[in-house]
Amino acid sequence: MRLGLDILNIKDVRFAGKTALGGGVLSINRVELQALLQEDRRLSRVEIELAHPGDKCRILQVADVIEPRAKTGGSGDDFAGTLGRQGNVGEGSTCVLRGAAVVMSGGSAFLKEPIGGMIDMSGPAAELGIYGKTHNIVVLPYPSAGINLPDYAKALKIAGLKTAVYLAKTGEGLTPDEHESYDLPPLPELAKGMENLPKVAYIFAVLSTKHEPIIGEPVLYGSNIDRTLPIVIHPNEVLDGAIISPYRAAGIETYVIQNHPIINELYRRHGKDLCFTGVIITTAPDSEYEYERAATVAANMAKRIFGADGVVLNKTGMGAEEIVPARTAERCEELGMKTAYAMYLHGADQSDASGGADTLFNMRGVDAIVNMGTTYMKHKLPAVDRIIGDPVFLPGGIPISGNIEVTVAAIKGALSQLGNSRITAVRH
Amino acid sequence: MQGRALRVVHYLNQFFGGVGGEDKADVGPQVRNGPIGPGRALQSALGGQGEVVATVICGDNYFAEKMEAASGEVMQLLRPYQPDVLIAGPAFDAGRYGIACGAVCKAAEDKLGIPAVTGMYQENPGVDLFSRSVYIVKTGETVAGMAEAVSRMVGMALKLATRQDVGGPSEGGYFSRGLLVNVMAETTGAERVVSMLLAKLKGESFESEVTLPKYDRIEPASRIKDIRSATIALVTDGGLVPKGNPDKIENRHATRFGAYSINLVDPLKRDGYEVVHGGYDEVFVNEDPNRLLPVDVMRDLEKEGVIGRLHDRFYSTSGLASVVKSSEKIGQGIAEQLKAGGVSGVILTST
Repeated sequence: MRLGLDILNIKDVRFAGKTALGGGVLSINRVELQALLQEDRRLSRVEIELAHPGDKCRILQVADVIEPRAKTGGSGDDFAGTLGRQGNVGEGSTCVLRGAAVVMSGGSAFLKEPIGGMIDMSGPAAELGIYGKTHNIVVLPYPSAGINLPDYAKALKIAGLKTAVYLAKTGEGLTPDEHESYDLPPLPELAKGMENLPKVAYIFAVLSTKHEPIIGEPVLYGSNIDRTLPIVIHPNEVLDGAIISPYRAAGIETYVIQNHPIINELYRRHGKDLCFTGVIITTAPDSEYEYERAATVAANMAKRIFGADGVVLNKTGMGAEEIVPARTAERCEELGMKTAYAMYLHGADQSDASGGADTLFNMRGVDAIVNMGTTYMKHKLPAVDRIIGDPVFLPGGIPISGNIEVTVAAIKGALSQLGNSRITAVRH
Repeated sequence: MQGRALRVVHYLNQFFGGVGGEDKADVGPQVRNGPIGPGRALQSALGGQGEVVATVICGDNYFAEKMEAASGEVMQLLRPYQPDVLIAGPAFDAGRYGIACGAVCKAAEDKLGIPAVTGMYQENPGVDLFSRSVYIVKTGETVAGMAEAVSRMVGMALKLATRQDVGGPSEGGYFSRGLLVNVMAETTGAERVVSMLLAKLKGESFESEVTLPKYDRIEPASRIKDIRSATIALVTDGGLVPKGNPDKIENRHATRFGAYSINLVDPLKRDGYEVVHGGYDEVFVNEDPNRLLPVDVMRDLEKEGVIGRLHDRFYSTSGLASVVKSSEKIGQGIAEQLKAGGVSGVILTST
């Protein structure tokens, strides 16, 4: 299956009379886009704001970030199952507006955290995170009266996806600045000519059930996966809109799934250093029975279906969830596969008196672990001129626009559970 | 801080302070103006950036016997000098001195609110006890390493006092405090995890980037063949001790345990015991010590013939913020005595 990405580099985004793309400048008819999004009766109104790299601007209550993309070739729909019909994604061509991002600001009442995820467009947070470097189209959907949480949550996601498609359609027919190709044939043909390379599978933890999953939240082809066992999926499906980030995944925005760093890296080294056999998506169940079951099924798939020699794993969610990929890795090792696991340190005891352990687990064979930073590191951020989102106050009456101190986990796009950040933690 | 010399205070034991040897290890804290002994080397390393304004000298035994009170006395002597930073030692491999240096540094940070630094040899028990809470620079084993130790301590003290970044443990030459700090790696997490897997697949060496908790895999003892003839002992880390704490078990970071007779005791009497443990509300145990150490229930089982007999001593320590090494030593010590006493089963009660 071959997927071509036609990439158009975006140098600026502005409001204009007509939505169009030319010379790297994305023009947006704000009223037209608002009208499109307000068709959804779950939303009372939708505001659109723009934020650019270098602006003294702070975006709050960020629920998700999406890269503007639209299918321009092939039979599949955009964000199949969630926005469009079920169908073939991961093949044909998709137009990408690189350098732009649709940022969903969800309102503090919904997130139950006053700041939620935040993005600064300048200063140290912009340096740390990837979304301070993109031209952001911020979508602020307000819920209709009487709407329940799952419906608003879905409407919020769909407004973001609609915006991403609406904007990326402007690239259709234009000569792309760059082209990327992702091609991985079915298993029987996959390893031809690569007999001497190690076969590597990727077990992608998407959803945690530690927090009650939102009913009907569109995660895989439009539905939630909280009650599913591991699933084999083609990496191109992941890149092409089949998976939308769950709200509680933490450090796994839809933007990062669309540009999945581990899948990209496995593709990059496919045929050279390794043979990339495919992706298994899984969850982090919150009970031992369920995670043992998921770990067993995922490890068996990697070994017995993919014939993998090695497996890469990531985690989702916060601290306790780190045990699930570790247990999955242990099962893989028991079956004779080698594993490497990338995680950020949320379970690490910051004041551990017994020897400064970074993890909650110590399992046989799970000895190759990449450390993607501690979530607790604090950063002082300077005051800004403009707030997008609900202008809340911090304890002590400090306005959110002022000089504030936040943990790195609050800065969207700084830490990543899928490996697109260079942040790592050391012990001082 | 610029423009004026930092006010540095120095802590020494009786030996380095010139009071005397082991025979003077009982002397209490006393303060002198200006630098003494190794303090002169400190002063020369500080140059114009700082001035050793006072030195407190205390006997190692005096300090070890009543650490908390001694720390308080040292702070009281130093406070009038309005210090910016405290330097203790270096203690090299001297154990009691190292513990005192660590405790004094911690007290300076907690009670005077000033940064502090000391220096020790890696095997000094003070490193185990205090490297997590205070900066301890690495020194040689003996006083031969004085020049290097002083230079490191002074470098660290100047940085701490002027709020400069001290860098990581290797560049700063200090024992890791275990503080997690984010830095930028050369490559992304995705690149590193794939590279690490490939190295592992090829059998090449690779360096995992996390420290795993070390859990010894202890093989469980074989099951008791006949419980009706077995001697069962009670062991607790809830800090239950006879009134007065005869073995001076520490209420945290315990390094000791006690063995106490319960021969013919049935049940434990409430006024005979106390709790030495800083980590839980001991009200219920003080009301009825049997709820921590179930002697009453064990006596019933003994009478009913369910067990052979209750071992005539119980073992106790305090399990709070324990250092793994100390805990291992305590565990081994208790196990040896249990084995020697012919005990075949143990009930461990925790809090």
